[in-house]
Amino acid sequence: MTRTNITVRLSDDALALACGADAVAAAFEAHGAKVERVSSWGMHWLEPLAEIDGRGYGPLSPQDVSAVLGGKAGVLDIGMIADHPFLKAQTRLTFARAGKTRPLNLDDYAATDGWKGLEAARKSGPDKTIETVLDSGLRGRGGAGFPAGIKWRTVADTSADQKYIVCNADEGDSATFADRMVMEGDPYMLIEGMAIAGLAVGASKGYVYIRSEYPHAIAKVRAAIDRAAAIIAPFELEVRVGAGSYVCGEETALLNSLEGKRGVVRAKPPLPAHEGLFGKPTVINNVLTLAAIPWIMMHGAKAYADFGMGRSRGTMPIQLAGNIRHGGLYETAFGITLGELVNDIGGGTATGRPVKAVQVGGPLGAYLPPEQFDIPFDYEAFTAKQALIGHAGITVFDDTADMSAMARFAFEFCEVESCGKCTPCRIGATRGRETLDKVAQGKDAAANLSLVLDLCETMEFGSLCAMGGFTPYPARSAIRHWPEDFTTSKVKEAAE
Amino acid sequence: MSMNDKLAMMANQIARNLQARGDETAIAETADHIAKFWDPRMRKDIAAYLEGGGDRLSPIAAKAVRRLIDRSA
Amino acid sequence: MTYQRQTDHGTPASSLEKRVSLTIDGQTISVPEGTSVMRAASQMGTSIPKLCASDMMESWGSCRLCLVEIDGRKGTPASCTTPVTDGMVVKTQTPRLQKLRKGVMELYISDHPLDCLTCAANGDCELQDQAGAVGLRDVRYGYEGDNHTVQAKDTSNPYFDFDPSKCIVCSRCVRACDEVQGTLALTIEDRGFGSKVSAGLKSDNFLNSECVSCGACVQACPTATLTEKSVVEIGTPDRSVITTCAYCGVGCTFRAEMRGEQLVRMVPWKDGKANRGHSCVKGRFAWGYANHADRITQPMIRDSIDQPWRVVSWEEALSFTADRLTTIRDQYGKQALGGITSSRCTNEETYLVQKLVRAGFGTNNVDTCARVCHSPTGYGLGQTFGTSAGTQDFDSVEDTDVMLVIGANPTDAHPVFGSRMKKRLRAGASLIVIDPRRTDLVKSPHIEADHHLALRPGTNVAILTALAHVIVTEGLADEAFIRTRCDWDEYQDWAAFVSDPKKSPEATEMLTGVSADTVRKAARLYATGGNAAIYYGLGVTEHSQGSSTVMAIANLAMATGNLGRPGVGVNPLRGQNNVQGACDMGSFPHELPGYRHLSNDDVRKSFEADWGVALDPEPGLRIPNMLDAAVDGTFKALYIQGEDILQSDPDTKHVSAGLAAMECVIVHDLFLNETANYAHVFLPGSTFLEKNGTFTNAERRIQLVRKVMTPANGHEDWQVTQMLANAIGCAWDYTHPSQIMDEIARLTPTFAGVSFDRLDAEGSLQWPVNDKTPHGTPVMHVDGFVRGKGRFMVTDYIPTDEKTGPRFPLLLTTGRILSQYNVGAQTRRTANSIWHDEDLLEMHPQDAENRGLKSGDWVKLASRSGETSLRLLVTDRVAPGVVYTTFHHPQTQANVITTDFSDWATNCPEYKVTAVQVSASNGPTDWQENYEALTQASRRICAQEPAE
Repeated sequence: MTRTNITVRLSDDALALACGADAVAAAFEAHGAKVERVSSWGMHWLEPLAEIDGRGYGPLSPQDVSAVLGGKAGVLDIGMIADHPFLKAQTRLTFARAGKTRPLNLDDYAATDGWKGLEAARKSGPDKTIETVLDSGLRGRGGAGFPAGIKWRTVADTSADQKYIVCNADEGDSATFADRMVMEGDPYMLIEGMAIAGLAVGASKGYVYIRSEYPHAIAKVRAAIDRAAAIIAPFELEVRVGAGSYVCGEETALLNSLEGKRGVVRAKPPLPAHEGLFGKPTVINNVLTLAAIPWIMMHGAKAYADFGMGRSRGTMPIQLAGNIRHGGLYETAFGITLGELVNDIGGGTATGRPVKAVQVGGPLGAYLPPEQFDIPFDYEAFTAKQALIGHAGITVFDDTADMSAMARFAFEFCEVESCGKCTPCRIGATRGRETLDKVAQGKDAAANLSLVLDLCETMEFGSLCAMGGFTPYPARSAIRHWPEDFTTSKVKEAAE
Repeated sequence: MSMNDKLAMMANQIARNLQARGDETAIAETADHIAKFWDPRMRKDIAAYLEGGGDRLSPIAAKAVRRLIDRSA
Repeated sequence: MTYQRQTDHGTPASSLEKRVSLTIDGQTISVPEGTSVMRAASQMGTSIPKLCASDMMESWGSCRLCLVEIDGRKGTPASCTTPVTDGMVVKTQTPRLQKLRKGVMELYISDHPLDCLTCAANGDCELQDQAGAVGLRDVRYGYEGDNHTVQAKDTSNPYFDFDPSKCIVCSRCVRACDEVQGTLALTIEDRGFGSKVSAGLKSDNFLNSECVSCGACVQACPTATLTEKSVVEIGTPDRSVITTCAYCGVGCTFRAEMRGEQLVRMVPWKDGKANRGHSCVKGRFAWGYANHADRITQPMIRDSIDQPWRVVSWEEALSFTADRLTTIRDQYGKQALGGITSSRCTNEETYLVQKLVRAGFGTNNVDTCARVCHSPTGYGLGQTFGTSAGTQDFDSVEDTDVMLVIGANPTDAHPVFGSRMKKRLRAGASLIVIDPRRTDLVKSPHIEADHHLALRPGTNVAILTALAHVIVTEGLADEAFIRTRCDWDEYQDWAAFVSDPKKSPEATEMLTGVSADTVRKAARLYATGGNAAIYYGLGVTEHSQGSSTVMAIANLAMATGNLGRPGVGVNPLRGQNNVQGACDMGSFPHELPGYRHLSNDDVRKSFEADWGVALDPEPGLRIPNMLDAAVDGTFKALYIQGEDILQSDPDTKHVSAGLAAMECVIVHDLFLNETANYAHVFLPGSTFLEKNGTFTNAERRIQLVRKVMTPANGHEDWQVTQMLANAIGCAWDYTHPSQIMDEIARLTPTFAGVSFDRLDAEGSLQWPVNDKTPHGTPVMHVDGFVRGKGRFMVTDYIPTDEKTGPRFPLLLTTGRILSQYNVGAQTRRTANSIWHDEDLLEMHPQDAENRGLKSGDWVKLASRSGETSLRLLVTDRVAPGVVYTTFHHPQTQANVITTDFSDWATNCPEYKVTAVQVSASNGPTDWQENYEALTQASRRICAQEPAE
């Protein structure tokens, strides 16, 4: 018999929707249940994941609904969600509300410590706020890992008639979705973080630059800005939508795009903190950086800095994707190893075959072999291995991956996405792709492979921005760790 | 337009533009202006025109031309 | 002199005062803070390889050739985008840098055609040079990969080709268009490897794009991608000569780049202080008239104007002319003779013409084309400040916070300065435009006026008085400045006058058509917005209140203390290259060089002593008075150098009647112009490329004009004037224009320190140049006005007698367009006509609809003076009730329409206000057809008799 008067909580996040959450919600409603749309817990393999009184059911299809309501969910019943091992081991500071609140509900937000960080900042004033951010050790989560507090201090110390806060929500790296989850699941937290930043540096206006591929995030953030306007006033916010360029995630290209210009990279100096949007001092931070701020302001710098290792303090929302059994969002303190993330938490590959490589930090991140899975998640540790954390997206590949094709892809990606401003990136990407093709065809393979390595040097040290500068990372790491994939015999073998 | 009409028009135009400075100043400055910028044959013609009646000259222009005649006398 | 490219330090000079020291390759250098490492290195003689950098524009950082190593810094920063810091230690040449640069160059060349030997830029190509500099010997990528080496050329522009196959996507052209010219016509389309330069939309080519053909992109291009067609045809130049443009009053200096005596191209000179390396379509490209087939290079005479011309020797022409002049002088007296100097000719030539008239003819009947443009400036600024000149240099605009542009359309008429104004506006300066028409400054990409006062033509004085009313009654006047610098009593009279409620914006709203609120806001902005500068043009002077308007402008500047320092001032934008100079040289009938009245005995005597003749102390005739006197029978002979009064002066029928009544009209010009239809003697002139001399631009800057080729007519114009003078009995023996300048300097205190040698050494000098200011005077009236105390002049608004009514209900105003120049004698004989091959009548859609007219229709334009026909352009650039046209084409004869009304003080014609009616038409009017026939008949030249 179907139970009535029950409340089913189901995510309306884009991933849940893509997995059919709307149809599942409709099915629950058809069965007389009340459906509340909440944010996603971040366990993607379980979406659509329904919660009824703390218990989780997933992944559901509409046909499963009556079984769930009838108490006959079977394997779809995952038990109490909060006790799920994937969640239990996490340290969710930024994603504390994930799965629990209705994204646009101001009461839910206030009831879960919302706006407390802003209140704290208003009480302590700009100077103390910046000090707190500095002391928290928070580093930019967009990839570069630059200390947020220093950036803020620079903007605060630059005098100007107008300053801006810009949130970089052009989340374009492969295997990344944490920004999207914040914007779709907890937009007020981002808004609060931006308002705090505005207060700290003396900026009256902020922009959230969201990629056009995130229509749900755009809608949510716009709606949230409308509803929160009075709370954050006099600080004002506006959403601007990108136009499909990966490079516009680079901060200076983003500023150009925001200004209505072509999304090409600007040379630095001047730093955006001195001359940013419309030539005015500008804080430009990633979504996760700004989203971490309310927690820090509420709980204090030390509470945040107590997490992490070395110079990487606090937590990082790591995103597990690619060929992985348990993909999703995993927020934890810095210091966890790659091996733990991929094998223990992610459960290895989805195909069940051995892991061959993981790429960390998006399409321009290095490929790491299992032999390096002991590397702790830490900016400096990754740098030491010629790798980068980037936006903490991890893409897993099994042993069928052809690493020469992956190296080629690095150039191809750069070729497609380069803004075209600087020569190493504009022409180098094309020549890299072509030269690797020659290697694959066995044309002067050794000479051409060495030409690729020369090109990598030209691009790494010659490029204007990280786009061209990091394209060599995946290419070179593939050549370094899987030289056998670049021999003609391997290619011939594959062809036969 | 006859030569005289044209000269009268020019003199009147000068006078009108200077009139805001007061009649006395306007007369003096109109006379100076004509003395300074007009070719002798034009000055001779306008003087002859005034002597012959000068009915198209405004009062200030007429007084200015009169002053020019007196000055050269 | 062998050909050398202009030095390019890679990034603009820093204007900061603080200096920092750094070490580059072991050498220490001190440069201003804000200087790039690249520029610092360049200044000490170390050229770091570069392709995307140019000191004409901000650093860009894309070519990645200029990488350097800096002690204590990670990586290899680009030297163009890295500012120097104190104690910085830079290495520009290391094995690592060499490898990187070679790596980058290898990429460049992998996507570049290998046709250097047949390339138009061969030998003048930065890519070629840099490939050599970095030692590239091999392109290991081969040339089979993806590339852009086969692309269609865009040859649509008449002056330059765009060959995208040679493009290295450095964006210099795009940035030049954005930053230097401010048109923003170019962009990079697509991205990554597909990036390419585009003139707007993909469907656009250069010709139909927004491009204004200023040439900045061509100059900026480091390869053969953008190349002058002349270079493609002739080859690269082998020498260059610095000279001064002969078009507008901006006075751009150019490098005439030559191959032998053939001009290959004109390239703006970066050290030129007027143009700072920029140019417009006219100066840069429109010099082809110099060799046009229409040019007359031999003297011609005829007994009467119904006869065909006879080509004769110089001796015959001169003796014929001398005979006629002497005969006329004997019969009618010397007051029957006169001359007109040209604002197109050099100071030395102008000076000689007035000298010929005063000393040779024995009369003061000399006037100049400034009569019809800036004579009210001479009068108005003379009365208020004490001298007839703009108060500032062009650089001053960089310190301006508020620009008030009145009756000027700089982006069309003074385009190079217009671009500088736009640059300053983009950087944040405010703008007030007072103009009946929506000029490009009112709104164009990245430019928008804070206030556009679209007044009814002819109400300038009313609006300026209303502005003054607000400033005085709202307590915005700068009393401290007025008390120290001006006559306080005169100020009080003026303040009382403008404070009259009848002068308020509210009271004059109906008259001017501008809302009181807008006027008040504009007045407050001008008075309180920081450094405020007024720029004005012929929309101010060419009215019956022209002189009053100039004085009203001067009043405003004095009342707000906006004089005597950079960033402020009163700036007449001079129409022609040497209007300022022609006026300075004593071209007006009442004054001698240096604006000194003939009645000043000391001055006159100094000239008499030097010239060895007695001078007439009485003023001579002005141009309109000459024509009147000719009709009246007392004026018989006129020597006209380089001016086409029939086309340019108002009321064409009156001009032609005057000319036809003369017995000896001598036209000294390049072409058989319209005036020559009435001439008896034609003396062929020389172009600015064929002569030495000086021009003085709108900022009083005296600059050398240098001869780059032999005069086609055999003589420079000053020589022709000298031959004529000697033919009538003068005994002049100048052998070089520098001697004429020496005479000018000797007789004119403001020019005392000017000589060709000093101009050569300093590049240019802004007068006054004397013992007190040996290096010239960029800003005037710094410590006091030339006349002592600044003089406030009460300027009453006296409406023009030209009134609209039922017969002529519309107001016609006239102006210029970018691609054509004044009467078009030069520009019509170049490819510029591709942009503007006829004069069009602009009319508001409402007026057009009332008349059932549409764009492209032939319309009849009639005033009480006459009628003509032309085609219509319907546009809301003009307000209802106002129509507008240009006057570049003799076929249009726009001046058949204009009237004989003129400025009260100077007789500068009222071109800008004519009551007209517009109606449908089938084509040319009777007048136009008759005139065309007359022209055909008048231009007949007899077949030359074979030499014996």
